[in-house]
Amino acid sequence: MSTITANTLVAMQHLNKVYPNGTVAVQNVNLDISEGEFFCFVGPSGCGKSTIFKMITGLETHTEGKLDIFGMSPNAARKKNEVAFVFQDHTLMPWATVKENVCLPLNLRGVSKKQQIEEAERVLELVGLQDTMMMLPRELSGGMKMRVSIARALISRPRLLLMDEPFGALDEITRQSLQQELLHIWQQDRSMTVLFITHNVFEAVYLSTKVVVMTPRPGKVESVVEIPTPFPRGDAFRTTPEFSRLVGVVSQHLKHG
Amino acid sequence: MAMDKKALYLGPAKRRIRLPFLSGLSGMNRTGGSLLSSLLPPVVALIVFVGGWQLFGILSGIPAYILPKPTDILEAGIKNHVNLFNSVYKTMSSALIGFILSVIFGVAGAILLASSKLVEKSLYPYVIILQTIPIIAIAPIIVIWFGAGTNAIVIIAFLIGFFPMLSNTLVGLNSTENNLKNLFFLYNANPIQTMWKLRIPAALPYIVAGLKISCTLAVIGVIAGEYIAGIGGGKGGLGYAITVAASRLQTAYLFACGLAASVMGIGFYLVINYISKKLLSSWHESEMKH
Ligand SMILES: Nc1ncnc2c1ncn2[C@@H]1O[C@H](COP(=O)(O)OP(=O)(O)OP(=O)(O)O)[C@@H](O)[C@H]1O
Ligand SMILES: [Mg+2]
Repeated sequence: MSTITANTLVAMQHLNKVYPNGTVAVQNVNLDISEGEFFCFVGPSGCGKSTIFKMITGLETHTEGKLDIFGMSPNAARKKNEVAFVFQDHTLMPWATVKENVCLPLNLRGVSKKQQIEEAERVLELVGLQDTMMMLPRELSGGMKMRVSIARALISRPRLLLMDEPFGALDEITRQSLQQELLHIWQQDRSMTVLFITHNVFEAVYLSTKVVVMTPRPGKVESVVEIPTPFPRGDAFRTTPEFSRLVGVVSQHLKHG
Repeated sequence: MAMDKKALYLGPAKRRIRLPFLSGLSGMNRTGGSLLSSLLPPVVALIVFVGGWQLFGILSGIPAYILPKPTDILEAGIKNHVNLFNSVYKTMSSALIGFILSVIFGVAGAILLASSKLVEKSLYPYVIILQTIPIIAIAPIIVIWFGAGTNAIVIIAFLIGFFPMLSNTLVGLNSTENNLKNLFFLYNANPIQTMWKLRIPAALPYIVAGLKISCTLAVIGVIAGEYIAGIGGGKGGLGYAITVAASRLQTAYLFACGLAASVMGIGFYLVINYISKKLLSSWHESEMKH
């Protein structure tokens, strides 16, 4: 049984999700995610990774078990404006400028224009796009769109950041530089907890403090692999024997699942 | 040789001439050739057609009240130009008012329907039924209620343009991308914010498609309205002028009125097309649904 400590941010106990059409998407998931962790979820397609995220955000409701975020229900937690999201698709509004897109979470909360701009400048600098404020999404490359999408998620200084295959559609080089930037942002103070879905075992090992390996449908947690390598992790980490060993361990669990 | 070089040099400069109103015409800016080579064939065809018509009129001896020659039409138009301009002005202003009303009520009605699934489910079937009633069938009722004249004419034009505006906008409001809707939900947007900041901007390409349909229909609606509810005394529009000209066998003037009506319709369409382009300027072409 899991033990819930004071700094547990997300707690799942015997979590089940059966969709109305009878699909059992998630079965008996028990996970405790502490503040400041970087959790990667890996597992075969259709094993319920996105479903877990949808339940955390309140887009779907779980059918059994218990799910607490910040010690409250998903809907109450969402209202706190401390959860942010990045999807595989950049989900930028095509008619709005980069600035307007990035400011959206603050704009919807009625934050003053002046503060919106200050925050937009801060997060766009974090992702290296300070000069694109007035550009439209169509004028940006795929990697830049994803950076804008990340900037939008960061603008509300979230305590919990959910990322569903954010780099899935990017080429390897862009993907690696974005991984590095994301780690850089996260490890500055580690006050933000990141949950990250990926199909890529290398990406999972490189980024996370813990990798959650899931079984094929109905999705259960096969194992949680701890990645003990300290931060900051540079590109050099990718070529160490330690890295290869951990990738091997995660892959092994994936096969058994 | 020197002449050739000069001609070659002038070529690209000519290509840069931009006629914003014309750029919407079919493929004219896609041909890649110079303006001259894309305008020349239709102009030549027109000249051949009009010339042939004139020649046929002269040679066949068909009387002008059956088939007027182009010169007869021109002459009738010039002779009655005060009446013609009055009629065009009258029809144009009725069409414009009817069109603006159909845009306002069509978009507002769609927003109302789209803001609640229950309202939409209970009212939309009736909208579809109302839409299928031919305007000619209800026009007499409109005349009974509002009297013959401008009011009835504008209402007929409004009704004809209203439904395409309403259904286009409604489809647009309901076709917002799911990911974006989720995003707004996740950031706790309320329904009003979702409507104004997401659904309406996302529906803009559909609304614009509705504008293009409704502006053409408004002109047709006004002319049909003037047939039914037009009043004379120099206040009648083109539709009224056409009925009068027909009853008096002023066929050449009838043709002139018809020609004026179509030129007006095209002009109206091109203006709306131009405004539409401006409205959609921040949308990428590939992201436009129409
Ligand atoms: N709204 C829904 N209604 C019914 N079944 C659904 C629904 N959404 C997802 N499912 C099913 O639930 C299962 C888990 O889906 P989910 O999207 O969570 O998988 P995933 O692990 O994110 O897959 P992928 O890696 O391909 O994104 C799948 O079999 C899917 O078909
Ligand atoms: Mg998924």
